[in-house]
Amino acid sequence: MRLGARGLVRRFGTLTANDRVDFAARRGTVHAIVGGNGAGKSTLMRILQGVDQPDEGSVIVDGKPVAFRHPADAFARGIGMVHQEFMLVPGLSLLENLILAREPADALGRLDIPAALAAARALEHQAGVTLDWHMPVDDAPVHVRQIVEILRLLYRGADVLILDEPTAVLAPSQVRDLIGLLQRLKADGRTILFISHKLDEVMSVADDITVMRQGRVVASLAAAATSKAAIAEMMIGEIVDAPAARPASAGTAVLSVVDLVATDPRGIVKLRGVDLTVHAGEIVAVAGVAGNGQDELVAAVTGLGRRLRGSVTLAGVDIADLPPSARRARGLAYLSPDRKAEGLCIAASIADNTIAGHHRRPAFSAGGILRRGAIARHVETLLDRYSVQRAASDLPISSLSGGNQQRVAIARELDGAPKVLVSCQPTRGVDIRGIAFIHRCLLDYRDRGGAVLLVSEELDEIIALADRIVVLFEGRRTGEIRRGDGDIEAIGRMMLGERAA
Amino acid sequence: MIDNIIHSALIMTTPVLLAALGGLINRVGGLVNIGLGAMMLSGALVGFLVAADDGSWPLALAAAGLAGAVTALAMSLIVTRLGADEIIVGLGLNIVVAGLVRFFLKSHFHTSGTLGLPAVTMLPRYDLPGIADLPVLGAIFSGHDILTWMSWVLVPATVWFLARTRAGLRLRAAGAAPGPARALGLAPLAIRDISSVYAGFLSGLAGAYLAIGVVGIFNEGIVAGRGFIALAAFYFGRNRPVATAMGALLFGFFDAIQIRLQGRGVPAELVQMLPYAMVIVFLTLVAVAARRRAQKVDVHD
Repeated sequence: MRLGARGLVRRFGTLTANDRVDFAARRGTVHAIVGGNGAGKSTLMRILQGVDQPDEGSVIVDGKPVAFRHPADAFARGIGMVHQEFMLVPGLSLLENLILAREPADALGRLDIPAALAAARALEHQAGVTLDWHMPVDDAPVHVRQIVEILRLLYRGADVLILDEPTAVLAPSQVRDLIGLLQRLKADGRTILFISHKLDEVMSVADDITVMRQGRVVASLAAAATSKAAIAEMMIGEIVDAPAARPASAGTAVLSVVDLVATDPRGIVKLRGVDLTVHAGEIVAVAGVAGNGQDELVAAVTGLGRRLRGSVTLAGVDIADLPPSARRARGLAYLSPDRKAEGLCIAASIADNTIAGHHRRPAFSAGGILRRGAIARHVETLLDRYSVQRAASDLPISSLSGGNQQRVAIARELDGAPKVLVSCQPTRGVDIRGIAFIHRCLLDYRDRGGAVLLVSEELDEIIALADRIVVLFEGRRTGEIRRGDGDIEAIGRMMLGERAA
Repeated sequence: MIDNIIHSALIMTTPVLLAALGGLINRVGGLVNIGLGAMMLSGALVGFLVAADDGSWPLALAAAGLAGAVTALAMSLIVTRLGADEIIVGLGLNIVVAGLVRFFLKSHFHTSGTLGLPAVTMLPRYDLPGIADLPVLGAIFSGHDILTWMSWVLVPATVWFLARTRAGLRLRAAGAAPGPARALGLAPLAIRDISSVYAGFLSGLAGAYLAIGVVGIFNEGIVAGRGFIALAAFYFGRNRPVATAMGALLFGFFDAIQIRLQGRGVPAELVQMLPYAMVIVFLTLVAVAARRRAQKVDVHD
């Protein structure tokens, strides 16, 4: 056994995040750890990595218990982690990121660039990839950054790699490349801990699987001896119905953008002339690898970003030059992808977050004075309808889990019958039960005649929900698919720039 | 005439360039140094005191650099270890040091504002044989002091340091992403403090330059906002040493012009504003031009 845990317990107040966790990753294998949100995967990873310490039990390295106090301790034992948010330094080149803090240099401190490049080429060769090492990391696509992170761990001498949801940011073909890379590393004798909730990938890459639920290990078994359905059932403990894909009955055009050109906050043109229409009673999804213009499309529609050209029409009214508040007043709702920074005011109470933006309604305020009683009644009714698990509505919203925070956000956005909902990454950081709930909310809203513009990096989600899928690549449309017309591979190819036939 | 202006433009550039190159390193390391002026002022006073009574100018420079470095370290530790806001601390430092200097002049020399001391050793200027007599080139390369030459040598040296040395790479990493830098085993806060000390050292030299390189007396207003001009220079230069030097040169040029224009009928107070006003005008023009360029981007490739 290369890395494992025995009787690991970690408590936070009354919550037991890890409850007597055991597992063992064998040397030279891919060991997957699966579980929904709140299953305790991240806590376990933090402990394995030395960022957090267990209350009881211990981490096992090479068959012996060890105590990691710092990440450096774990690293000294060859254990390195590829984070969900990459730990590369912006402004540096890929090569500089690779060698940072372990630079080949002469006695005077001058960098030995040829030696660094040679080391980089050797790693490339091992991993079976080719990179432009002098590219600034800011220009590198996300899958390249991920590879650099992995190679950096190898460069620094790690032989156990922990990957936290590594495929969340990748297109399907890139996922296959990553899996190929992991398999080559495994063949070299390295041990890989693969954390994921995507069972297809887990089944295709893992030798062993450990399933976690509510802080406990439910099962640890060989991948060959089980099935995706069995794992899914162990993960959630019960079968959650995926919302059925009901056919839509699309009505009149609600939101349309024509020849839209928009820049990112740095002023770089990311959206290069896109036409798009969303009808009443229809979910239109935008698929694409992150950074291909989705953010700019959303920002131009909501009024939060710069638009250089083109029109945005909501129910026949040109809203392109209106500020966000005026767009909302005309029936635009927006579910932000960044709950903490944009979707919610994380320091404010649950109740305040629930009415934020609606606070000018006569029911909630008069003459600039909030009507606390009316607000409280409304908030309780609304949050109960969306089953938000809370101790009290006047607590800060940061006290809620990610899934419940998202329920508050969606409850607020759908409150007041908006004409169109711009919904970005609606299920990011939400567990499997929460995902099903949010999907049902979106479909119900659609069935009531709502128009949804859905932007998501989860292809499964897009395929489950969307009546039409528009694929963006480098700021342009590369294709459109109607429900049931295309497969995931075809969408994946369009996401990488291949135009629809 | 033209030689004179070039020569004095370079002289007036030196203090701004030194402080700007220090501030640039500081900013690359992750700290925007608003207190450069305070560091210049302490360097100016200490350098001036050491150079008085036939003091040694190398010793005066060393003392001035040290004074600036100590001031910078104090500021940096408050920001990096106590988590104070760098802008507020920098602004506060400018006010505190100005007050301390005024108090010191009053209590020790019973003077307010200006301090003249006997036999102040000035920074020697050297003529380069063969070049000194050439028109224009002579004014550019010859007849300068060691700090002026040093400041210009530092421009390519800073480029090289940032791009090609281990310390430069770590400095950039610590400034751009302290979290990942720490995760990789670097100590970003210590790196930041060191970069502050360097900025303080160069600013101290810049202050001494004003006192014993240019005028030979000390005045509490001797820095005259040059710390902020240096800040403007490396902001304008976006942390690139050559562009930063151009910003400093722009200021130095108009400062030299301003000195020439004095006593020609225009009120001195207005003329003295010229270099500062020109910096604002120039920064505005650059910003407008950049916006124009951004809007001209062809969206169809």
